[in-house]
Amino acid sequence: MKKMNEQRMDELLSQYVDGRLSENELKEVEAMLSENASARKRLKDLLVLKDLLASKQKLTQDIGFWTRFSAELERQNQIKQNAPSFTRKFMPALSAAAAVVFIVAGSIVYQNMIKQTDQSTGGIQVSEDVPNSGRMQGQLMPFFSKIDKDRALQFSLLGTLPIDEKSKTELRMDKQSEKGYRIEVAKDSKNKANTITFDRFIAEVKPSSRQKRLIDSLLELTSRRIESSVLIGENNVMAIAPDLPNINKMMVTNIAACLEPYQRVQFERLLEANDAPYTVTVKNGTTEAENRVFQRIPQLPRDNRFVIITPDTMIYSQIQIDFDSMRKQMSEDVRALEQRREAMLKRILSKDFNRLRNSSPYPQHGNAFGHEEFFNVEIIVPADEIDQQQMHLMVQPRVRKRIMHTVSPGSAIEIRDSKDSALQNISR
Amino acid sequence: MALPLPGAGWPSKNKPYEIGVRGRSFVPSFTKTGESGSMTSDKIQHRPSAEVLKEMDDEALIKQFQNGNREVYRFLVERHQERIRNLLFSIFHDSDYIEDLAQEVFIKAYQALPHFRFEASFYTWLYRIAVNKSRDELRKKKIRRFFSFQTLDEGIENELNKRISVPPEDRDTQELVSLGLKALPEKFRIAVVLKDIDGLTYEEIAKVMDCELGTVKSRISRARSMLRKALKPLLEEV
Repeated sequence: MKKMNEQRMDELLSQYVDGRLSENELKEVEAMLSENASARKRLKDLLVLKDLLASKQKLTQDIGFWTRFSAELERQNQIKQNAPSFTRKFMPALSAAAAVVFIVAGSIVYQNMIKQTDQSTGGIQVSEDVPNSGRMQGQLMPFFSKIDKDRALQFSLLGTLPIDEKSKTELRMDKQSEKGYRIEVAKDSKNKANTITFDRFIAEVKPSSRQKRLIDSLLELTSRRIESSVLIGENNVMAIAPDLPNINKMMVTNIAACLEPYQRVQFERLLEANDAPYTVTVKNGTTEAENRVFQRIPQLPRDNRFVIITPDTMIYSQIQIDFDSMRKQMSEDVRALEQRREAMLKRILSKDFNRLRNSSPYPQHGNAFGHEEFFNVEIIVPADEIDQQQMHLMVQPRVRKRIMHTVSPGSAIEIRDSKDSALQNISR
Repeated sequence: MALPLPGAGWPSKNKPYEIGVRGRSFVPSFTKTGESGSMTSDKIQHRPSAEVLKEMDDEALIKQFQNGNREVYRFLVERHQERIRNLLFSIFHDSDYIEDLAQEVFIKAYQALPHFRFEASFYTWLYRIAVNKSRDELRKKKIRRFFSFQTLDEGIENELNKRISVPPEDRDTQELVSLGLKALPEKFRIAVVLKDIDGLTYEEIAKVMDCELGTVKSRISRARSMLRKALKPLLEEV
């Protein structure tokens, strides 16, 4: 009986504090409170409890939520689109009946979209010269896989990515002019100070846990993007997405956007100390959090177009790739990738890649050449526009001290100016 | 055929890369190739600007969405993510875990939004999705206790007792409240979170939890009683 009374008392008091009682119930509770000390104690506890719950620590607005969410939505979109239709589902059975079974791990079919070239000017090899008259079948693999946070940050800030510890080779992105980029596969730069690890970034910029989480997410997106942007294939084919260097600027912009003004100063110092390709300056004082805008990092190369480089051709082509199955296969067969990559590196770093003669019709300008120590691809495509209006930030190419290779193997020039002159010098 | 990248289009022969600013207002769609956003160029021209969209209420944004302007979803997400993340945080008390859950809730809402009938407010509807998702997750994690649905979780209660018995100056009030909530059976926990942390009305909670008003009253009262007992030393101190 006592228990029933207690339960009834609790129910009445609970609704009393919420103002949910009828007139009769209200009278009943007020009478109970005036007579019963236990009821008054319960009421006091209930009010304190309500206060404690209402003042419970809350998560604040997560400024990176949309960035991560839209990437996830896009990923699910792709999965949905890649799900086989009814016909496609049963195609393997039909193929088997025809006694022709193709098992192509990585499922690559790339179709050459190059339509024309100016042969009279000694133009680069075009679709007709590609095996199977413009249709190539084979296995492609990501050149880079399982890019950890340190490497993703290194690429995001410095535009370099170590390829191979043994041969000390790295991939470098450089904005050489307002017109375009240069991608270079070469020996590590001699200046070993130019490395930024995530721990060092944390120590110097001191992001809050929320900022750290956001930067983590951005780096994860960058890792995925790098994986899908540099590919190696059979017959020593290498494919590089020409818009990959855009990720550099986007990431510098994004990281700067999620930092507070005082942290940006540290961030810029870190970039400067490492001769990073981009410099960050704040345009107008402080930035309101709600005005921060992040650049969406595209997870696939623009229009699935790649510059495909073989020992004697360079073409610009669209490649249809099922990245999900490729990644799955990669995770299952890491060793095969390692062997393939080693073979590819030997090839790239040998003299087999002589300078290719001319540019393809698109990109507007392209060049590839090799030497004992480097393999160089110059691609000129317009940079992505990055809207920095709402961030009060300027992310611009830095005047750099780095020594870059030139067309003439063995010699080098010092890039002192980011303007066109440097590129003209290189591509002359 | 691959999807054209959002905000882009297939490049023309002459200006293959002249595709404008990309990215920041992008919302991927689940439509098939060539239907990205399901909008014709005419419709795109008549889309309200971001400033106008930002000022629109939920209902107007949803109508835009249902008319094919999928980009407005960003505004709905940004407007409600804090509440949804906090709801999930109050239920699970794990900030890493709720990240994925919150994404799943908004993806589920994105898929269901074309069928939204305006019978409830958007946030109540979103809460319902979040609560259903939470229940599924609790079930998966076997947190739900079928044989002790009226009592506190023993393991968590022991942990709570241990931490609450320390001298008052060493107590972490926030942590104790979180543990108290975590010890509650799922139905009571969700009801009291919706009422005392999120500030929903009894009627809204009934809609979100899909139950009768009387059940809501009873669950809230029961949850408070259990919490009062569990946090007794803390309440007495205050």
